[in-house]
Parts: sequence; C-alpha cells; structure tokens
Amino acid sequence: MIKRNHHVEKATGKGDPWCFKGEAGPAKFKVGDRVRIKDLPDIFYTRTQTYVRGAEGVVAVVTHESPAPEDESWDNTDKSEWFYIVRFRQKDLWPDYPDLYANDSLQTELSERWLEKA
Amino acid sequence: MIRIDAYNSTLDSTKTELEIMAPPTKQNEPSPVRQAVLQHLNIVGHLQPALHVAQHAPYPDGVDNAHVRAYLRSPHDVGGEPDVPIRWEEKQEEVWELNTYVTCEVLGWRGIWTSEERRRRQNVDVGQTQYLGLPYYGRWLMTAARIMVDKRYITLTELINKLDEVKKRYDQKKPSR
Repeated sequence: MIKRNHHVEKATGKGDPWCFKGEAGPAKFKVGDRVRIKDLPDIFYTRTQTYVRGAEGVVAVVTHESPAPEDESWDNTDKSEWFYIVRFRQKDLWPDYPDLYANDSLQTELSERWLEKA
Repeated sequence: MIRIDAYNSTLDSTKTELEIMAPPTKQNEPSPVRQAVLQHLNIVGHLQPALHVAQHAPYPDGVDNAHVRAYLRSPHDVGGEPDVPIRWEEKQEEVWELNTYVTCEVLGWRGIWTSEERRRRQNVDVGQTQYLGLPYYGRWLMTAARIMVDKRYITLTELINKLDEVKKRYDQKKPSR
C-alpha cells in the first residue's frame, strides 16, 4: 500500500517542484546554449512533443529540478533532473510556416534527458 | 449526427426473427434500457480511429514502424494535427467540476498519486477517443475513480453498485416527462 501523505510532507513550506531543489547535481546546459531535441522512443508517457524532436533551439531559462515526467507519472520521485525552457524558431518546427513571420518563436519546457548539444 | 432512426428501421426489417425469440412488448418498441443500448451501439459505430483502413487488428507484418509509432503516440500530443477552431465560451466552472478538482487535489495530498500521474492517466491512458470525446473535467472524474480501483482502495464491484444505487435514486427523483 501507499505511504500516506508522503508528497505533502516533502512539499510543505517549499512547494513542488522546489522541494526537489539540490537533487539533480550540476545543470548540463546554460542559458544561450544551442540544443537539439533527442528522438527517444515513444512509449506509454512523455510530455516532449513530437514536433520538437530533432529540431534545434536555444536554452531560454534553466528552470528547476524535478523528477522527469516519465518517472513522476508512475510516482517514481527518487531521481531528479534539470528542466529547461527551450526556444525554437517556428520556421524550424513547421516547414510551411510563412516567411512573413520568420521571427516568430515557440517555447516549451523539457527535462535534461531530451537535450543534446547542437 | 446520431442516426438512431436508421438503426431502428434495420430492426423493423428483422421483426419476424425477433418475434420468434420473444413476444413483442405491448407498445411494440424497445424498452428504455434497450433503446439506450441500441443508441449506444449506433454511436460507437461512429467512434473509430482516425486512420481509415480496410483491416483492423492486422497481422504483425501488416504494420510498419511508422504506423506503430502513430498508434503508440500519446493522445495529448496534438501539436501539428489539422483541426478546426474551437469556439471560446466565457463560462465558470460548474459545481461538479469544482468538486472533481478538489477530490483530485486531496488524492494528491494523501499521496495516492502525483499530479503527473493524474495527467498521465487523464490525458494519455484514456486513449484518443475518450481524450477527444469527453469534457475536460469528465476526464478528471473518470481518472479519480480509476485510481481508486487501480490502487485497490475500492473494488470495481463497489463502484458499480454505488453508481447503480445513485442512478436509481436519481431516476426516482427525476420529474416525469
């Protein structure tokens, strides 16, 4: 059976995801780093949108430490990693995006396992 | 739209066979339960995966890797799909929606699930048809019930009996039409 209240006990006074602060070690990327999104196998759960796979973007914010969605979604919270907001050019994501809006961008948040140096 | 009329006319054409199996009811029409069942069968006939192919449940060599990936995709990953605009309604949450939200939060406080497990269950585990077909808080509610059964806080039998009890109570209170 499940240990009662273990989430609230960890997060009280800190909040989630701040209760995982300090658990991920040093961040691998910094703001301004150019990164490519890995195309890991799709099975059961992820929050990494398919449309960003293989695309290149720039780290806009190093946000927080937390268990990755793939783990936390089955209540595996022992291992945390860094999360990053990555900014893409819309033109790099959608081949038919109009040239008129070439400066449009899109940001999304991804955990470190999905990023590699571009 | 739902074509219940078309289904009923199919029934009429096989009336003779039905009469052999059971005598017709006085009104010669399906009971409310049967009407609901027939309507259900009619609706689910329209719920199909968006990929229209001649063969369902294919042999293993009948599906290439690209299609396996398409089938395994998470239903909430809708970015890039063609769709029509959704009309924006300025609308407050209904009472049952707020109650559902609170129930799900309490399940989180008590350690029954993390928010991410709730999202996984209500956005992905429900499958594409339910993800697109049920209201937003409907998926929350179904998921709250499901986690209680999956993690063995209640049995499915208890849930079914309770739903049946509430439904009967509700039917009695309902003003007659």
